[in-house]
Amino acid sequence: MVKLFISILFCLTVAPSWAAGRVNVAATVPNMGMLAREIGGEKVNVTVMTPPDRDAHYLDARPSMMAALRRADLVVAVGAELEIGWLPAAIRGANNPTIQTGRTGYFEGAAHIELIEKEIADRSRGDVHPAGNPHFDLDPVKLAKVGHALARRLESIDSDNAEYYRQNALEFENKVKERMNRWKEKAAVEGVLPYHGDANYLFRRLNIPIHNHIELLPGIPPTASHLRDLVRSLRDKDGVITYILFQPSRGPEFMSSQLGWPAYRLPTQVPVDADAEDYFQMIDRWVEALSGN
Amino acid sequence: MNKTFKFISCALFLTGAATGPAMAQETRVGTLRSGGDVPVGAGTLFNPEISVILDFTYGYFEDGIGEPEGYELAHCHGHGHDHDHGISEGFALREAELTFAGALDPYFDMMLMLALSEHGAEIEEGYITSRLLPAGLGMKAGKFMSDTGYINKQHPHDWLFIDRPWMNEYLLGDHGLTELGLQLSWMPPTASYTRLGIEILEGKSEGVANYVGEKNHQIVTVTPDGNNKPVRNRWRADMGFDDIKSPRLYTGFLKWGPDIGFDHAVQLGLWGGYGRAFQAEDAHSSGRLETWDGESSFGGVDIVYKYNGQGTMGHGNLVLQGEYMYRQLDLKYKNRNFSDFSTLEILDEKDQLWQQDGLYLQGVYGFAPRWNAGLRFDMLGLTNRSYEEADRMKNDPSMRYTGQVSYAPTEFSRFRLQASYYDPAEENGNGHSHGNGGWKFALQYNVSLGVHGAHTF
Repeated sequence: MVKLFISILFCLTVAPSWAAGRVNVAATVPNMGMLAREIGGEKVNVTVMTPPDRDAHYLDARPSMMAALRRADLVVAVGAELEIGWLPAAIRGANNPTIQTGRTGYFEGAAHIELIEKEIADRSRGDVHPAGNPHFDLDPVKLAKVGHALARRLESIDSDNAEYYRQNALEFENKVKERMNRWKEKAAVEGVLPYHGDANYLFRRLNIPIHNHIELLPGIPPTASHLRDLVRSLRDKDGVITYILFQPSRGPEFMSSQLGWPAYRLPTQVPVDADAEDYFQMIDRWVEALSGN
Repeated sequence: MNKTFKFISCALFLTGAATGPAMAQETRVGTLRSGGDVPVGAGTLFNPEISVILDFTYGYFEDGIGEPEGYELAHCHGHGHDHDHGISEGFALREAELTFAGALDPYFDMMLMLALSEHGAEIEEGYITSRLLPAGLGMKAGKFMSDTGYINKQHPHDWLFIDRPWMNEYLLGDHGLTELGLQLSWMPPTASYTRLGIEILEGKSEGVANYVGEKNHQIVTVTPDGNNKPVRNRWRADMGFDDIKSPRLYTGFLKWGPDIGFDHAVQLGLWGGYGRAFQAEDAHSSGRLETWDGESSFGGVDIVYKYNGQGTMGHGNLVLQGEYMYRQLDLKYKNRNFSDFSTLEILDEKDQLWQQDGLYLQGVYGFAPRWNAGLRFDMLGLTNRSYEEADRMKNDPSMRYTGQVSYAPTEFSRFRLQASYYDPAEENGNGHSHGNGGWKFALQYNVSLGVHGAHTF
């Protein structure tokens, strides 16, 4: 009886992941899931823990995250405190030694690139991140660089397929290079006024000046006087306004009507099961908005 | 005890079975190695992570609100002189929570939470958790909030209302079930979140493991002698409680959360426990001593549902949660008084079986960015078999209705306004009534300074 019970339990729980013989990856956001799928190919199983239409900074740990982390060989995060509201708690609640911070199974993209917009640790300046702006994943060049680091990490977990991972990272980088000149040429707007710093890495990559931000301070919605000041200082300039699906539209729409600039509501994350092509299409949409046409 | 042992060996055996294939995979996945990333921004600025939480309250109560009938045993003794996270009248700095957390070494994480109040400092929680146990096993040791139930493990600043539900306060303890001890948990590698565990605890929580131990009952009076000079009279006798060696309390829990998409999350919990010692005493100034001595058993269920709205800063989010708990106390009641200076004489003696339960249901909705509002319904004593001295009473249930509105300018500060209508069942000499009800109003300002804490489900 006990034996039967154990075999049933075994079949239900352990067998599926074992039989597949792949590296189990738990990605924090869809962009990182896409990257893991591009680099890992058929050698990995990717579970994405958050949806594309939510701000990954303001989520709570959920049972499904802990279940994914329990089974993971590797967690792939953006890092730099983007997921600080839930990932540490979810890792603590996952009873999985492999993915503890500092272990081979913990990968944080931000640790492998140079971050921008480092700030002073003083919350009177808003919800600041002293280590820098975490949203590097919207810059295809930085993401490709992280792809190489991820390939090296996968290699240390699964050395048999080292060459495969390296090749995939190189391929992803090449795809980015192919498109980069076209993107830079097309994105010709005089400046941009985003709601928050979600796409600042992309703006910098495309050499587009960031006029200001619509929110008052990071994480603090704009006040009426802040919007008035923005209108006054930007009246004689030209540009576009961008904000993200999950951000309030009132501020951006108000600025758009006052300045006569177009306002674009754009995604920062690909769908959960996306590939590189979907990611490049998303960048295309941003570039289109930044073309000034 | 035997049952507990069987449970542990069974859990270990099952995890052994689970280790097998993982070992077979070892060549692919590799053993545990460092060489992973250290979170960017962590360990450079704050090590350990330090945060401070301040909790200010203001309370305005109508006069004459009674306590729920049938829950005086043990509950009232620990009340009032301690920081108990209840609401008090007038302005109060309810407490300052000082938290230190971090990785202790490669093997353990540590967390220490000190509660500072006007009455002094207290260790609210202080424990280590394992980082490297294999096969989905986890271990926690120290002083911690038990995993029995959902709200029991939440700190006051995580509550969606200013005070804790009645069920948690009256059936477990003023601090819920917070105990010294050891917790072992196991998560099978299933697609749905599953966690089961056992706890081996010291046993001193008022509601299920009240403990007295060997103690003397003593009264001293000074009376005049024949010449009106004061004479000291001392009556003293052993109360009759045995010292019961720790651990005195065992609990077990199961949590299950199926994956129902990104918008929704649900978790079900099932839990129970056994206290092998429950001791309580009530010493009257007349010399009369009432004692209760026996054991306890309890169990409960909890369900939590969360909807993640698409709005910013909590807009559109919904949290529904409910818990039910049943507690049984199997006690020997004795009512005694001194027959001479060193002997207690039995006036009444009775076997008492206390059977009581409680539940709460609550819902909180984010009706605008940074704003939420919620309703809570508390009920104590659907079953309320309790005793007044030696006599068995069948008390009515008590009810409480609470509403709150919260505004959080950022995730580091929050204002909350709460109104509760108390409708306690109370004895009024010739039966039961609900005549001692009334309103309590409270205002709270809760702030946190320091690292950005992560929110568990």
